[in-house]
Amino acid sequence: MSNLLNAIISKQTVNPKAQDKIPAFTFDSDGKTKPAEYKGKLLPSRIIGSPVEYVKDLKKDVISIGRAAKGKANDHELGRINDLAMKMGSFALATYLFIKNPLKLNKAMEFAGFTTFFTSMALWPKLAIQLPLKLRTGVDIHQKYIDSQGRKKMLFQDPQYDLTDLYSREDLDMLGNKLKVNKNLPDRDNFIKQRAKKTAVQGNTLWMMTAGFATPLMSALGCNLLEKPIGKAIESYDIISSTLKLNRGVTTGPISNLKQTLADNSLRKFLQKNADRVMDESFISELSSKLGKNSNSAVIIDAIKDEISSLKRNVKIDEQFIKEVLSGVINEDTLNKLNDGQKTLLNQAMEEGSSSRIADILIDSMQITKKHDRIKLNKNIVNLLDNAKKSKSVPVLRDITDKINIINNNIKEFAAEKNLLDKYISAKIGDKSGTYIANQWSRVGNKFVKLLKLSDKELKLISEGNMDILTNKLSSLASSDVEYDNVIKELLDLINDYEAKTGSTFVSKIKQKSNEICTKASNNMNSNGLEKLAKRISSEVQKGTLENSININAQERITGAQSSFYRLIQSLDLFKRIKSGKLERQLAEILKAEGREIDKEQIKKLTDACQNVILNATTTDYVEKLRSSAFNLSEFEYKTVMRVLFDNGLEDDVTSSLQQSLTNCNIGIDRAKEMLEGYRKYKDEVMNKIANWQNNITPELSRRTVSGVTNSANAVERNSLAGKSIKNYIQDLSKQVYNSHKWLKIFGISMAVLTAVTLIAGLAIGRKSKMEKQVEEESKKNG
Amino acid sequence: MVYSLGVKGQNNIKNIQNISFGKKEERSKSKCENKDAILAEEHAKHPIGTGLKINTEKLFNAFTKYPKKGMEGSKNANFYEFLTMGSVPYIIGSLMMMAVFNFANRYFDTPSSVNASKLGKKMALGVVAYGILKNISKKFIELPVKYKYGIDVNLPYKKIINELPEENNKDNLVTHEYHKVFESVDFPRWDLLYDNKYYGDKRNGYFEKIAEKYGYKEGELDYSDQKMKSKIKETVTKTKLFSTLSSYLWAATGVGIALQKPWESMVFNPKQRITNLKNHIEIAKIAKEQGRKIAKYKFFPQDFFNKLINSCKEFVNNSNKATKYAGRGLIGAAVLMTLLGNFFTLNNFNKDKGSKTQASTSLIDESKEKVVC
Repeated sequence: MSNLLNAIISKQTVNPKAQDKIPAFTFDSDGKTKPAEYKGKLLPSRIIGSPVEYVKDLKKDVISIGRAAKGKANDHELGRINDLAMKMGSFALATYLFIKNPLKLNKAMEFAGFTTFFTSMALWPKLAIQLPLKLRTGVDIHQKYIDSQGRKKMLFQDPQYDLTDLYSREDLDMLGNKLKVNKNLPDRDNFIKQRAKKTAVQGNTLWMMTAGFATPLMSALGCNLLEKPIGKAIESYDIISSTLKLNRGVTTGPISNLKQTLADNSLRKFLQKNADRVMDESFISELSSKLGKNSNSAVIIDAIKDEISSLKRNVKIDEQFIKEVLSGVINEDTLNKLNDGQKTLLNQAMEEGSSSRIADILIDSMQITKKHDRIKLNKNIVNLLDNAKKSKSVPVLRDITDKINIINNNIKEFAAEKNLLDKYISAKIGDKSGTYIANQWSRVGNKFVKLLKLSDKELKLISEGNMDILTNKLSSLASSDVEYDNVIKELLDLINDYEAKTGSTFVSKIKQKSNEICTKASNNMNSNGLEKLAKRISSEVQKGTLENSININAQERITGAQSSFYRLIQSLDLFKRIKSGKLERQLAEILKAEGREIDKEQIKKLTDACQNVILNATTTDYVEKLRSSAFNLSEFEYKTVMRVLFDNGLEDDVTSSLQQSLTNCNIGIDRAKEMLEGYRKYKDEVMNKIANWQNNITPELSRRTVSGVTNSANAVERNSLAGKSIKNYIQDLSKQVYNSHKWLKIFGISMAVLTAVTLIAGLAIGRKSKMEKQVEEESKKNG
Repeated sequence: MVYSLGVKGQNNIKNIQNISFGKKEERSKSKCENKDAILAEEHAKHPIGTGLKINTEKLFNAFTKYPKKGMEGSKNANFYEFLTMGSVPYIIGSLMMMAVFNFANRYFDTPSSVNASKLGKKMALGVVAYGILKNISKKFIELPVKYKYGIDVNLPYKKIINELPEENNKDNLVTHEYHKVFESVDFPRWDLLYDNKYYGDKRNGYFEKIAEKYGYKEGELDYSDQKMKSKIKETVTKTKLFSTLSSYLWAATGVGIALQKPWESMVFNPKQRITNLKNHIEIAKIAKEQGRKIAKYKFFPQDFFNKLINSCKEFVNNSNKATKYAGRGLIGAAVLMTLLGNFFTLNNFNKDKGSKTQASTSLIDESKEKVVC
């Protein structure tokens, strides 16, 4: 009692303001103390708290921190500060990881992880324990109340601190009915309160026992669910924002101004620091990289190098120069001994910069007569003079600072514009994860794997390289018309989306913008005397210019993925033809036309070869004309397989399927026609550029080329046209799908088991004990 | 029993039984003798051992006795037990976090497994670093306070609990809990500090010691307990605030350091380490025969320490500028909060300018007599 009183008085002394509002006790006029009237009440239960309340509580917590820093906070405030500090610490960590992770998706997932963790921590007890218990027993184990001091607490936090008096008459009766407490029980209220407290103790214990399992599991599964929509949102955001920025052009906001000022200052310091450095090759490379860094282009850096290398110092040969360079060869007074005629001649020679004539005059004055000696000396003098002239013509940085500044000014404006274009291109087809093309690549592959209805076991085998399963699956898919049509249709939908986003509008915009940016930069550079640089950025001869490489690279990226998508369709088509017997007929016709015997074994070999090629062949295999041991085809076999796969003259099932789908597909007739054309074009291109027997690449094979036919595709083009082999494409994706299935299975099942166990354990909560039953029975007997 | 509140010689309050709450002979007559006892001596002599003993017992109970009582809905279950059980989700949650990032790896194919285990290893280490730094960092604030003012916010005491008989337990009713004297800033267990043998067996022994640390000379204060209680509470509150705030920042820093690249090559698996050691010995033999020298094998502690140093370096000096500054920002915030905590807790801002003999400045009108019933 005395301690308690001391505490109260001491508290009142330390914190008069807080106590002024709601005093814990009052003084009577005669000096006696009385406890103040209790003003606490129950708060309505909510699964998700109101944001307004959250902000209000946060404000209170911040004030509490201020009070605690002065040493005046109470236990409740310190407890709340602990929760706030935990969230702040986690937020700080999420911010650090957000900055640390280079990828936008990973950045976003750091905060998703933070959010799902705290959400899981709050939601698990509510959904798995509190809500079922409330529905079954009427007891809200997390019932909150607000005390006289305005502090929000849990009603059943401390079972030894009985606050059940806060229940209203109606609430208590309702609770009793829900708990099935005999209405005639004497001291029923107390009985109900004890049962409610007991239920809360059990529920809270169950919460403590399960939260450790549940929170990380729920959080991880939540992140897994959020990853796709967040990825999609980032993908769309990148495309929209990069398009808007490109259309708006280079802006000079305060941030970009600041950045530029910092960059300029850094360059100025660099130029000052290295003012006396000789422009040798390594220093030119260093300076060029620095100047061209923002352009993100090796072509530009190379061009700057050329531009700087071409800058020379004008070195004039005079008497001083001769004295310095030839000090070890001629006497000191040789020049003084020259007669007037010789002097005039020397001046002329120096004016013309002719080392040989200077040497002759000097040799004459030295009166050397032997022819052999004269020739030897002449050679020596010429060498010395020329080398000295050459070395002295290499400038130091100070000599060319003005030119460097001109280069920098031209490059920085161009680089800013080019970067906008780069980002626009990269958002859709950038060679990094998170871009549209990367995501669509996974979407198409995942859809294909899903449509093949592969089990986890099969996925694992495929991911380990077992292609027989894939062959069998494709084969069985081809035997069902409905499933086959469905797969084609689903894939076409995705390819259609791909073509719509990376089609002619996108490509022509890249061409238009690259032309606009490069031509402007090129003209500016030309007018500033930077011809070499200008020529490398844009010129009438497109080959080798930056403008050209921007367009070509973009086109190749688009074609690369497109070919791989078409190759999936093509594989389905091939298996359909095999299944329907069409391929056999086509092969027989080819054999007949070639005047060969229609041999079943030969047809079987060719059929297997077609399957093998469509599933496994890589660009290199095409280049080697499928002669490696994996294929081992003769010229005739090769040509036949290529005809079957890529000759549009042979009608195939995909084109007929596409034609059929003109009437009932989701993409519309016009679009389907376009796609049909696109598919045909793809086959033509492959046929002409890489599948043709004449397109040989390796020196050994080039001997077999028919003279006059040149290779029509370069290495990049060949790669993009061949596309990724089905084996590699599906093997990679099977790995990903299998891993994510496995992970989801392990932790999804764990979560399900945990939930089930918790719910079942929850059923045991709130049951009457033997003694309670006995009390009720006795009361019944007593009427 | 009637107590009168007042200050000797300072006002006209009439002492009914005088204010001596703690007169020994009267206290010893009390029927309800308090058996709770501070573990001051053990704690002072073996702070780590005592803490370990207490925490082990608490942890054991948290996993065994308390859940049993809780699930039975025992009427003796209390808030202490609920709070102690809080360590269960903390430990299981940490293990689960490690499992989420590591358990499924074994089913993946080799490259995916390698990548996943690199991440998993770092995440698991992060969980451990979080726990260690969160607890250790509190000492950065608590120890200077203990050194300067003699206030040990973790001073433990053993509380004796007399439980109510229950259906399944009618005899074994006396049990105990471990608390801290200052675990509540509203109601510290002052009573345990009076007349404590460890503090000189004097009524105000503890408070006089603290008063000396606060700069009062011996015997300068008439009522050192009344004077010092508010000071102690103030310091304890500030210590708790800043140790809490800084501990989560240090914990975040710990995770940040644990997520650096050098850990990816750290081998934790003992079997793998033994295999590596055997391989190293073989290679060393061959090298010796060939007269070559090879790098020394790094045993676990040295290897761990090296990786730790490299990770710390990478954390504050990352090659990426933004990451470098983010790392410095995070550790800077933790250091700053610790320094701020030391500044606030070690400075006595509210120096009492009033009389040194007055108990405290009070709102109570001292001209009137007060009686508490």
